[in-house]
Amino acid sequence: MKFLNAKNIRTIILILTIGGLLFLAVSGYLTPVFNLTLNPLISLQRWLSVRYISARDLLTTPSDVVQLREQNALLEAQVTQLQTQLIVMEERLSEAQVCFALLDFGRTNPQYEYIATAVIGREISPFLQYIIIDKGTEDGVRYGMPVVTQQGLVGRIDAVIARAARVKLITDSDSVVNIRLQSAGIEAQLYGSLTGDVSLDMIPLEARIESGDVVLTSGLGGNYPPNIFIGQVLSTQKRENELFQTASVQPIVDFESINAALVVSNFEAVDISPLEPEE
Amino acid sequence: MLSHIVCALSLAVFYILQTTIFSRTTLVAGTADIILVFLAAWSLHEKIKNSWLWAGIAGFLISMVSAMPYFAPLVGYLGVIGISKLLQRRVWRIPIIAMFIVTLLGSVFQNLLYMITLIIQGTPISWGESLDAVIVPSILLNLIFALPMFAVVTGLVDRIFPLEENE
Repeated sequence: MKFLNAKNIRTIILILTIGGLLFLAVSGYLTPVFNLTLNPLISLQRWLSVRYISARDLLTTPSDVVQLREQNALLEAQVTQLQTQLIVMEERLSEAQVCFALLDFGRTNPQYEYIATAVIGREISPFLQYIIIDKGTEDGVRYGMPVVTQQGLVGRIDAVIARAARVKLITDSDSVVNIRLQSAGIEAQLYGSLTGDVSLDMIPLEARIESGDVVLTSGLGGNYPPNIFIGQVLSTQKRENELFQTASVQPIVDFESINAALVVSNFEAVDISPLEPEE
Repeated sequence: MLSHIVCALSLAVFYILQTTIFSRTTLVAGTADIILVFLAAWSLHEKIKNSWLWAGIAGFLISMVSAMPYFAPLVGYLGVIGISKLLQRRVWRIPIIAMFIVTLLGSVFQNLLYMITLIIQGTPISWGESLDAVIVPSILLNLIFALPMFAVVTGLVDRIFPLEENE
């Protein structure tokens, strides 16, 4: 009975209690108790940890932030510089494409000499269709010279100063161009309009013209050189009581987006007005 | 003096903007005349005393550049100033309404003047087509730009005149 003394009994009770608690803990019965006791601890730990990290960052990172900001500013500056370079390169590429196209036109029409120009403005009045180019008398541009693009006829020089010139477009309502319909082999006149549309008039009633017929300058009248492409016939209008039929023309040149043009410098317009009968 | 410099610089800037941007931005076949809108806004401010002078200078210079019959732009811009002064002195006291009315009447006057001048000169244009394709869209565009232009010019005038009063 010496085994069952008070000391041993306490030890056995302690072991059984610990074992019981372990059993309860392992089997999950003590989870609510743990939560109840540990949650406040965890909250306190989190609160303290956040404050500690903040305080540590405050003390250790200012130099890093400044450095990062400097690097960021440097990189932003580089990005801006590269974007600027990209824009410049794109502009140059665009200009080069236009120049190549104009050069190509020059090669295919070697009988003419050209002055390459950039379009720098348009007429202020909406009633008129004119453009302003950046070459003038100093560059050899003269009144009456025809103006073309790689696509076709644009117009002719209407006024010129030392370093700029004004070009009257073929779409202007006061513009008349003598043309030749390539497939039909007939000649007619091309008129501009207020809205920038162009149309053919003075086409004989018996002439057979179809949509898609090519319109070229005829060279008659001496204002434009012959065989410059203007556009294609869109549709025809024939009225019985009229002497001539008319036709709408789709110009090959996009007059709204001309950026560059060629002045034909070795063509001299002939002024035939003294030979025209007085009205 | 400062108002002369500001007006000259503004006209130069608006002329460049007009020929490079606004004349390329069309509604049907109409375009805004930003110089007209600027002169209308400029002349409506009571403190401005040089609007006749600058309308004359602007009209003269644009007559030189434009393919319009000679001095038609000059008469057009002087007409706009005339309408503006008439409204400013006798009829209306609410600036923004006056701005819209001056822009409207000035645009109508200028476009009709241009059209009549061209017809007299022998350009084959019809009244109906001019009205539909050019005049009405141009007036509409001018009216659209009237409000921002009035705000810009009012800002300029408010900055100029405290400085001129201190001189």
